[in-house]
Amino acid sequence: MDARLRRVNKEIADCKSDKSSRVTIDLVDDNPFHLIGAFDGPEDTPYEGGRFQVDIVIPDNYPFQPVKMKFITKVYHPNISSASGAICLDILKDAWSPVLTLKSTLISLQSLLCSPEPRDPQDAEVAKHYMTSKSSFEKTARYWTMIYAGGPGEDGAGRPGKDAAKDEIAMAGLDRAHVAQFEALGFDRSKVIDVLRRMNYRGANVANINDDRVVEELLK
Amino acid sequence: MSAPSAEYDLDACAALQREEWEVLEAIHPDCISGDPSKGLIKLEVPVDLPGSTAVVLASDSTIESGSSSSSGPSTPQTISLTILPPILLDICLPSTYPYTPPQVRAVHATYSWLSLDGLREALAGKWEEGQGVLYTWVEWIRSGEFLEELSMSTIIEGRRTIRIVHPTPALLLPSLEGYNSSTQAARFSQNSYECEVCMTSIKGARCIMLSCNHVFCRSCLEDFWGLCIREGDVGRVGCPDPECVKEHREATEEDVRRVVTEEEILRWKWLRMKRALEKDPTLVHCPMALCQTPVPRPQNVEDGSPWERLRICPDCGYSFCAYCKRTWHGPVANCPISATKLILQEYMALAEGSPERKKMEVRYGRITLQRLVTEYEEERAFHEWLERCTGTPCPGCDLRVEKHSGCNHMTCVRCKEHYCYRCGQRLDRYHPYKHFSTPGLRCFSKLFDVESIDDEWQPVEGFDVI
Repeated sequence: MDARLRRVNKEIADCKSDKSSRVTIDLVDDNPFHLIGAFDGPEDTPYEGGRFQVDIVIPDNYPFQPVKMKFITKVYHPNISSASGAICLDILKDAWSPVLTLKSTLISLQSLLCSPEPRDPQDAEVAKHYMTSKSSFEKTARYWTMIYAGGPGEDGAGRPGKDAAKDEIAMAGLDRAHVAQFEALGFDRSKVIDVLRRMNYRGANVANINDDRVVEELLK
Repeated sequence: MSAPSAEYDLDACAALQREEWEVLEAIHPDCISGDPSKGLIKLEVPVDLPGSTAVVLASDSTIESGSSSSSGPSTPQTISLTILPPILLDICLPSTYPYTPPQVRAVHATYSWLSLDGLREALAGKWEEGQGVLYTWVEWIRSGEFLEELSMSTIIEGRRTIRIVHPTPALLLPSLEGYNSSTQAARFSQNSYECEVCMTSIKGARCIMLSCNHVFCRSCLEDFWGLCIREGDVGRVGCPDPECVKEHREATEEDVRRVVTEEEILRWKWLRMKRALEKDPTLVHCPMALCQTPVPRPQNVEDGSPWERLRICPDCGYSFCAYCKRTWHGPVANCPISATKLILQEYMALAEGSPERKKMEVRYGRITLQRLVTEYEEERAFHEWLERCTGTPCPGCDLRVEKHSGCNHMTCVRCKEHYCYRCGQRLDRYHPYKHFSTPGLRCFSKLFDVESIDDEWQPVEGFDVI
C-alpha cells in the first residue's frame, strides 16, 4: 500500500472518529482519491444553519502537493466563485503544507466563510456587492444558504421544498423596486436582473448609475 | 515502627534498602548501579536543564576581579545547554541505613565541571532518620535544584542562567558541548516522534530534527524534497510545518545534505544558483547553445566604459559582447549595427522611467545605452534626410547627391558615371537622353520632374561643374 493511500485512509478514519467538529469525509464511488467533504456553516454568519459540501480530489503527489477542493454547494461569498464553486484560499495554493490534512483544510474553508477577504476575490461581482452594502450582501448570502445549503432563511421560517421556486431577485441580491422600475419599461425580467446584477445596482451605488446607462446595457 | 536506639532490626533495614533500590532502578535505571546486597551503590546523575539554558563559563580570576573590565585574557563565555554531565556518587549504605546516615565515599563531577565545595554537606543535610534518601538525591541533582542551593543559578534578564567557575573554561567548554550534543542525539534517536506528514509514530533514529526544531521522518522528507527538486520548485525545499511554509523558511544546506541524494543536492544547488542569478538584473545568458549559463555584469567597470559590454562566461569561458552576443570584439569596435539597433529599438520602445527600461539600463549600462541612442538617432535622422533629399545613389560608386534643381540626367562628380536621378539606371554616356525620350521606357518624358518645372532651373551641364 503506498504512502498516499495509507495517509488518506488514516485521515478518513480520523475524521470518522471525531464527532465534535461535524466535519465529514465520504468516498465517491469507492475511490479513496475522490471524496466529498461536508461541514456546517459557521455560527453568526449568513451561512449559519447550512451544510456545505466540497468536492475533494487527492492529487498523485499528495500530501506534497495541495489537495484540490471546490464547493459543490453553491455559496454566495467573495472568495468563492458563485458559478463554479472554485475557492480562493492561500493554503490550497502556495501556502500548502504537507502537514495540513483534509480535515484541517475543510475547517479552514469553514473559517473562510467567517472572514471574507473581498480585496482578493474569486468572484468580483460578489466582492463588489460585499463592498457596496454588507447588509444586502448578507441577506443574499443567507438566501443562497437557504436555497442551496438547507439554511433557515431570513426569518428562520424554515426551508423551502426542493421544488420551491427560487426568487431570482433575492438570488441576485437586488431591490424588488429597482427591478420593477426597469421591467416597467418593457424589458424582460431576467434580462433586467442580469444587467442590474452585473452593474452592482445596489445600495449607495444606485446614485452613481444613470438610468440611461442601465437602459443602454439593457439594449445591448 | 519505632527503632530502639542501640539495636536496629537489621532485617527490616535490609528490606527497606532493597525496596529503595528497586524503586530507584524502576524509575531511573540509567542512574543506578552497584551491589545492593553489600550496600554498595553508585549513582550517576546527569543534570537536566529545562528547555535550553544559558551557561556562563568563568575562570577563577574573572570572578576575583569581579567585572568585565578585567584585563584577563579569558572573558566569561556563554553557551546554551540542555544537559550537564553527570555527578557520580559512590555510596556505602551501612547495614543500619536508613536509621543511620548513608556514607558518601566519593563525589565526582564528570569533566570536573562542578566545584564540589558544599555538595557533600548539602547531600548529608537531606537525610532524615528512617527515611531513604537516595531517590531525593537523584531528583535533587537531576532537576538541577542543587544548582540553586549552591548559588550557581541566577536570573539574568528574566532567563535562568547557570554560572560555572572553572580554572580552565576553555578546556571545559568543548567537553560540556560535546556531552550535551551526544546526549541529545542519543535521546533523540531513542524517542519516538509522530511524523505529521505520514501520520505515523516513528523512532527518532529514523527521524530528522530540522534547524527550526521541527521533527519529521526521513522518508517523508526524502519524498517531499526529492519531488520539489525534480520539479524545480526550489523554494519549497524547506520545513513542511505550516508556520515555516508561511514564512518561506528554506532548508539549510546541512538539512538538505542529511536527506537527499548527492545528485539531488547538485541539482538543488544548481537551481538555487540559477534563481539567485536570475534575480540579478544585469544578467545575460551565455550565447553558447550548450552552455546558457547566466553571466552577470563585470565587476569594477565604470559606468559608460566601453568595457561594460564585455561578458566572460564563468562556466565555459566564452568572452562575448552583451549587446551582439558575438565573440568579444574589443572595447573600441562597434557591434554590427543590426544587434545594436535591435537592442536600441527595444529600449526606445519602452516608456521612459518604466521598470522594463530600468532593467535594460541595469543590464547594458545606462550611459552606454544613452550614448548609443544619441548616435542611433543622429544616424537615423541622417538616413531619413538621405532618403528624403537625395535621389537614388550613383550606380557606379553609391555616392548620394542632393539635387535642388535641374534635370534628371546626372553625371557623378566622383566617378563620372552617367545615370538617371529618378531610377538610378546607368545611362549611355554618348546618348544619355534616350532614357527620357524613348516612348515605353519608364522614365519617358521625365527628364524634368513636374514639381520642379516651376522652379528656376539650370541646364544639366550647369550642375555638372567638375
